[in-house]
Amino acid sequence: MRLLKKGAEGDIFLTKHENALAILKTRKKKQYRNQILDDRIRKSRTIRESTILSEAKEFGIRTPLVYQVNHNDCTILMQHIKGVVVRDLTGSKLVFACKEIGKITGTLHKNGIMHGDLTTSNFILSNGKVYTIDFGLSQRTAKIEDHAVDLRLFKEILNSAHVNVMKSLWSSFLQGYRSAVGHSRYNQILNHVSIIEGRGRYAQVV
Amino acid sequence: MICLGIESTAHTFSCAIVQKNKKGGKILSDVRKIYRPPEGQGIHPREASRHHIENSSDVLLECLKKANLKISDIDIISYAAGPGLGPCLRVAGVIARTVSSYYKIPIYPVNHAIGHIELGKLLTGAKDPLVLLVSGGHTMLAALKQKKWRIFGETLDTTLGQLLDQFGRSLGFASPCGKKIEDLALESENYVSLPYVVKGNDVSFSGLLSAAKKISSNQKDACYSLQETAFAMIGEATERALSFTEKKELLIVGGVSANKRLSEILKKICQRQKCKFFVSPIEYAGDCGSQIAWTGLLEATAKKGAKLDETFVRQSWRLDTVEIDY
Repeated sequence: MRLLKKGAEGDIFLTKHENALAILKTRKKKQYRNQILDDRIRKSRTIRESTILSEAKEFGIRTPLVYQVNHNDCTILMQHIKGVVVRDLTGSKLVFACKEIGKITGTLHKNGIMHGDLTTSNFILSNGKVYTIDFGLSQRTAKIEDHAVDLRLFKEILNSAHVNVMKSLWSSFLQGYRSAVGHSRYNQILNHVSIIEGRGRYAQVV
Repeated sequence: MICLGIESTAHTFSCAIVQKNKKGGKILSDVRKIYRPPEGQGIHPREASRHHIENSSDVLLECLKKANLKISDIDIISYAAGPGLGPCLRVAGVIARTVSSYYKIPIYPVNHAIGHIELGKLLTGAKDPLVLLVSGGHTMLAALKQKKWRIFGETLDTTLGQLLDQFGRSLGFASPCGKKIEDLALESENYVSLPYVVKGNDVSFSGLLSAAKKISSNQKDACYSLQETAFAMIGEATERALSFTEKKELLIVGGVSANKRLSEILKKICQRQKCKFFVSPIEYAGDCGSQIAWTGLLEATAKKGAKLDETFVRQSWRLDTVEIDY
């Protein structure tokens, strides 16, 4: 077992499952957090992530297969997706990936799920297909507000991590998103994104 | 080069003199007068600005006296032009413009949030940090990238400082309430479940505030549970931003950085993420003129002073809109 990444929530290990490469996602106890709160967060996220990883497949979203879930240790053993994290892509591949992320987000929303952590580091481009690998903050919700929060976060990340190409990435994301949710829902959500942005600290609202 | 910095964005009126040399900067004096609202109440902008005006000449004179300088020794003047409360901001603006035009000293409008960050960097020696700015006006995670401080997470509604102050005031405490809440929290270990809202790298405190008010019959338990929940949220957002940006330094600035429990949490996160932890010294954590003076000096390395008719104040002025040329 080899440590791949010390993530924000837990550690990601590369391991094997029945002779195939697999990923073990752990949510270790966080010593700095109150233990009751810590248990609540780790357990609920492990359960939610593992169910949504499987459920998302039903409406055609590519996710890793879940092999094993341990509710007590808060670990998920899943398929290893070989590819490049979208955050590390450049040029036309990055533009393509953003459009795909838009489609994926739209499909999730249409099926009443918000991703909750829509960043370019939570998607992998593998053989020309985009996989969604992290559902730790996902929620079942059909609220406009929640869906708009997803879009706003993605925009924030593009604005900070992919400054130079932000505009073209954002427009291809929106193109993909619109193709999944349809024109009227798209306008509704986009309008709500500006409302949320207007709530931001010291945002220019007038 | 010597700069006089004037700060009056909220409850603090402060003048400071900072000298910049080849090695870095030195604070020659930093004098403050803080407006205190009555117990259980928040800042009244008009009353605060009246307080600032009434104290302005004393603070300015004392600041020169402590630095052992005359006004003619000052090379440039900077003032906090925003963000903040309009009536308060105008006090620093008026004083800076007056002194600048009478004595013909170049003037620099400075962003208050950048003041916090730059002084924090100067005093701690952090080089390329992810910055957590936690105060009454801000709760955001920022890192410098391509000439701007980019936001990697922030509050979607109230700030951490507001959360603590508004909760404290609902119990009748005097603002700022952070210290009192911190002390009461030390006396409990009984965690009452409260809403924990992290949305990606962002946090939201408004639901937590309402829920905490409902459990406030036991003040100690409520303060403990509020701190634990809010700080864990900030901790998680910080950890996410650290992991995303892969920065190797974390710098915490702003009034709430004085809280020991928050520092402890962030220190442990830094150990886990193998990054260096810096916290601005407590006497310079809150608003002060040194922040503004030092940022003015940095601006002066890249720019000429502003024209008098460009020396506005701006109540809404986001950190991520400022171009960093130095």
